[in-house]
Amino acid sequence: MPLKFSPSLFEVNNLNFERQGNLVLKNATFKILPGEYCAIIGPNGGGKTTLVRLLLGLEKPTSGEIKLFGVSQPRFRDWNRIGYVPQRSALVDGSFPATVREVVGMGRYARRGILGFESNEDKASISEAMELMGVSDLSDRLIGNLSGGQRQRVMIARALASNPDVLIVDEPNTGVDVESQHRFYELLRTLNRTKKMSILFITHDIGVIAEDITRVLFVNQTLLVSQNPAEMIRCDEMSRLYGTPAHVVCHNH
Amino acid sequence: MLEMFDYPFMQRAFAAGLMIAILASLGGSFIVLRRYSLLSETLAHVSLVGVSVGLLFGMSPLWMAVLASLLASWMIEYLRSAHGMYSDSVLAIFLSGSLALAIVIVSMAGSFNASLFSYLFGSILSVSVQDLWVMGIFGSLAMALLLAFFKELYFIAFDEDVARAGGIRVTILNYMLVSVIAVIIALSIRVVGTLLIGALMVIPPVAAIRFGMGFYPTTLLSIAIALISVVIGLSASYLFSLPSGAAIVLCLLVIFIIALVINRR
Repeated sequence: MPLKFSPSLFEVNNLNFERQGNLVLKNATFKILPGEYCAIIGPNGGGKTTLVRLLLGLEKPTSGEIKLFGVSQPRFRDWNRIGYVPQRSALVDGSFPATVREVVGMGRYARRGILGFESNEDKASISEAMELMGVSDLSDRLIGNLSGGQRQRVMIARALASNPDVLIVDEPNTGVDVESQHRFYELLRTLNRTKKMSILFITHDIGVIAEDITRVLFVNQTLLVSQNPAEMIRCDEMSRLYGTPAHVVCHNH
Repeated sequence: MLEMFDYPFMQRAFAAGLMIAILASLGGSFIVLRRYSLLSETLAHVSLVGVSVGLLFGMSPLWMAVLASLLASWMIEYLRSAHGMYSDSVLAIFLSGSLALAIVIVSMAGSFNASLFSYLFGSILSVSVQDLWVMGIFGSLAMALLLAFFKELYFIAFDEDVARAGGIRVTILNYMLVSVIAVIIALSIRVVGTLLIGALMVIPPVAAIRFGMGFYPTTLLSIAIALISVVIGLSASYLFSLPSGAAIVLCLLVIFIIALVINRR
């Protein structure tokens, strides 16, 4: 297994990314280790989502190296080890003909391969993910008929159905009510602590996960990595980083 | 009415029509869900260029239509994916550009207007045994590809980025899908005609989606709608001497209106 040789889930060295001549990310270097709960923070347009898209191979870096599970990204094939919940994932096309079960089942497609029918293992993983996210009773409902919070849970269930080692979530709370957000944070904590799943979480609401995170990546073109989140999310430090007065409220949910 | 099946040309028309109905509605499901419906219309116009070239130079119009449609589909997908151009803009350029080219070729020849008419609007009389063989071989290949990558194409239609992040070969599959659509359209022009094939690809899935089911039952219903329309349309075409393509599309429209009325929401 690659993990035997490299303990890093993600290893990024001197990563640069330009879009239409504009520098989006400059010399990013960091590692994410197994079991970590990592928050990616930074101002809008600072490059947070771009960083995640680079890790997932959705964008090609201008220069630099990305290793996933110890394997250079161009040669990496075990994409089902990474669960991804994109930004605004809860805002799906209301008329798309997809039931909750079908959407969660997509999380297993890469594992099934061409012409692969759903195995018992696939069915069990889908059921487990739906159970965990509390969407089993919505199984036959159309995704477009669900509330924002329910859709969000379905999208996370889809990511979990592939039994990933790491879950990447990109500001998933757009259009989601406060109660659902709190349930979501609780879930991430459970996944990280009890299932030992690594979490990479883009958020603006750093205060709400302050107690859980083990590492903070602050992205604003350049990357600042802190393994002391408590230190980094101090009001004066955040104000300095964001370049505007910031008031951090740490709260339980 | 059943005596129409005594005629070999009607047997061929039904065989071709039913084959096209399944292929067009199945392929159409993916392009409708990707908001790419105009692709069928565009490639149908491009097929017309192939037909015109075929008629002008005495080559098989069907083969030339397949070739033209395939080339255009790859160019469209390349411009959309590699150059980030808006899909609808690229399609609009190809649609009007290919129609202009076809008109120029037709006006240069000026002698095959009657033949061209059958390709524009479909003609059940024009389906030859050779056409049927070509449809059978290429149709089977297109069907095999659509079924083999059914779940991957569905995932891409739902969320292309997440599908790609999950290890699905999105770029290759996108090229495969447009190629299959191109072949289906080129094969369909004998039965439905270049100007009306878009309806056979788009209306069945759109009508089926109105029933608010999951993707698999929606796809099956879409195929059923297309099959029913082809059977009724071809029968009406025979009985009332109507152009087959127009008769099929009118049946599709009636079913679409029924679906709208039943599923008001």
